[in-house]
Amino acid sequence: MNDGRMMEKLHNIQTTYGYIPENEIEKLADEYAMSKTKVYGVISFYSMFHTEPTGKYLIRICNSLSCHLNRSDDVVTGVQEYLGVESGETTEDKKYTLEIVECLGHCGEGPVMMVNDKIYTHVSKAAALKILKECM
Amino acid sequence: MGETLFLKRKVSEDYSHYDFPILKKVIKMRREDVIAEIKASGLKGRGGAGFPTGLKWELALKEPGDEKYIICNADEGEPGTFKDRFLLENTPLQVMEGIIIAGYAIGANKGYIYIRGEYAKAINIFQDAINHAKEEKLIGDSILDSDFSFDLQLVKGGGAYVCGDETSLINSIEGNRGISRITPPYPIQNGLYGKPSVVNNVETLTAAAEILAQGGKTYANLGTDKSKGTKLVCLSGDVKEPGVYEVEFGAMTLREIIDEFGKGTTGELKFVIPGGVSTAILTDDQLDIPYTYEDIANVGSGLGSGAVVVVSEGHDLLELLQNVSRFFMDETCGTCFPCREGNRRVYHLLKEAVNKGGFTSDDMKLIKDIGKTIYLAARCGLGQTSMCFIGSVLEKYTDELLARR
Ligand SMILES: Cc1cc2nc3c(=O)[nH]c(=O)nc-3n(C[C@H](O)[C@H](O)[C@H](O)COP(=O)(O)O)c2cc1C
Ligand code: SF4
Ligand code: FES
Repeated sequence: MNDGRMMEKLHNIQTTYGYIPENEIEKLADEYAMSKTKVYGVISFYSMFHTEPTGKYLIRICNSLSCHLNRSDDVVTGVQEYLGVESGETTEDKKYTLEIVECLGHCGEGPVMMVNDKIYTHVSKAAALKILKECM
Repeated sequence: MGETLFLKRKVSEDYSHYDFPILKKVIKMRREDVIAEIKASGLKGRGGAGFPTGLKWELALKEPGDEKYIICNADEGEPGTFKDRFLLENTPLQVMEGIIIAGYAIGANKGYIYIRGEYAKAINIFQDAINHAKEEKLIGDSILDSDFSFDLQLVKGGGAYVCGDETSLINSIEGNRGISRITPPYPIQNGLYGKPSVVNNVETLTAAAEILAQGGKTYANLGTDKSKGTKLVCLSGDVKEPGVYEVEFGAMTLREIIDEFGKGTTGELKFVIPGGVSTAILTDDQLDIPYTYEDIANVGSGLGSGAVVVVSEGHDLLELLQNVSRFFMDETCGTCFPCREGNRRVYHLLKEAVNKGGFTSDDMKLIKDIGKTIYLAARCGLGQTSMCFIGSVLEKYTDELLARR
């Protein structure tokens, strides 16, 4: 279907459920006359899409070069220790999912962290932990 | 020398009543004349490849068929680059005006803007701007009482750097995995849904609109023979005042950009990456060159997307190498075996070197060999440039890297 809306639909499903569940993949496959495998292949290509539930708060920390120069490593290790999870993992209470990611496009204001859609710049380790504690 | 405000001229203006004055003028011009103006300006694509914009539009206009597409590439993802976000957040309507003008020039009635998914704020701002333009009938059927109709759709990326490549981006809009296509045919002949398509960068389209406001000659009078006009430079890393600065080509040296705009480095300067992590580094003795495509190419690097990353002493070189290597390992789309496995292998060699405290000359040779293989086998720019930074650091700091053991 030449409507250019597959990405939008995937984003919308994810916003609704927090991830892309199997039955929605089936619906998309029907709608676009694609096999389920193919839809799954599309989803798995993009790092922003999840096929498993994530935590209530998706924490992304940039660790690309400009942020690295601004000591993003400190933030990364600080947050990893505080949450007790590695990149790609969710805390046991399902509150946080941590992702160490590549450039978020705020390279002049690093280190940079995102909580769901909100961006935080010039983040120190202490600031990052404060932000996490304020997630209710 | 301060900033040359061409693109940034309207940044502080209130946009709520902006009604596309440039488009109003352009829509009364012949398509060929619009293109001639862009050609006269000498504008080159600002997405990294530097293809002449006027020529791209001309080729697309000449393609047969009534179904064509204009696609604005806002997938900005190369570490160090944030100028397109700056434009999307601060001058969304001017970006949009550029897209519609390009659509008009090439005869496309449908446009897409592909914004990387992580740019939540820019996406909201731009979607609001599209809604506003639709309400004001600046987008839609017969816009501004002309016989030109234009629809614009925003597509949110899914977090894949490789989708910035124009053929991958087209695959992604079509709802496929964002892997590159074999070229030729180029998107100009066979792009979105197999139709003639022009893909242009955000900065390119914004500049095009402003060129049509001020005239191609005005723009061509700025810059040098081979690099016309101005460029948004994204300054980051070890500088005191990072940010997006607009520089007239040739008017300042790289060092002046760092010292005057960046207010100098935070430590003793070690090297500079002049065009993002897919370009080769320049050492301190290479910085007194004018900021132009040709001068940076002459010293063996590239201006890329305009990301100037400053690195001072005090960082572990091996860690920096590993950091950049991880980026390419994470972001390769995996279609070409040497790009997929080569970048992974290089990452692991670097990681091993960190663990054992340094390099042997064999390690270095191996990394260089892999780099060459990736370059030769890569289908798209990601693979071709993935080893530029690493290769140049190995070459320029061989002794330092070997001496660690
Ligand atoms: C891996 C890769 C990533 C790219 N990323 C971008 C990008 O984020 N934005 C962009 O405009 N061009 C990017 N490009 C270049 C595009 O393929 C294309 O040349 C450009 O969008 C054309 O627009 P221009 O002529 O206005 O520069 C990328 C190319 C490659 C190979
Ligand atoms: S060069 Fe790398 S990123 Fe480009 S198409 Fe090949 S595998 Fe994909
Ligand atoms: S390098 Fe971290 S935001 Fe760009």
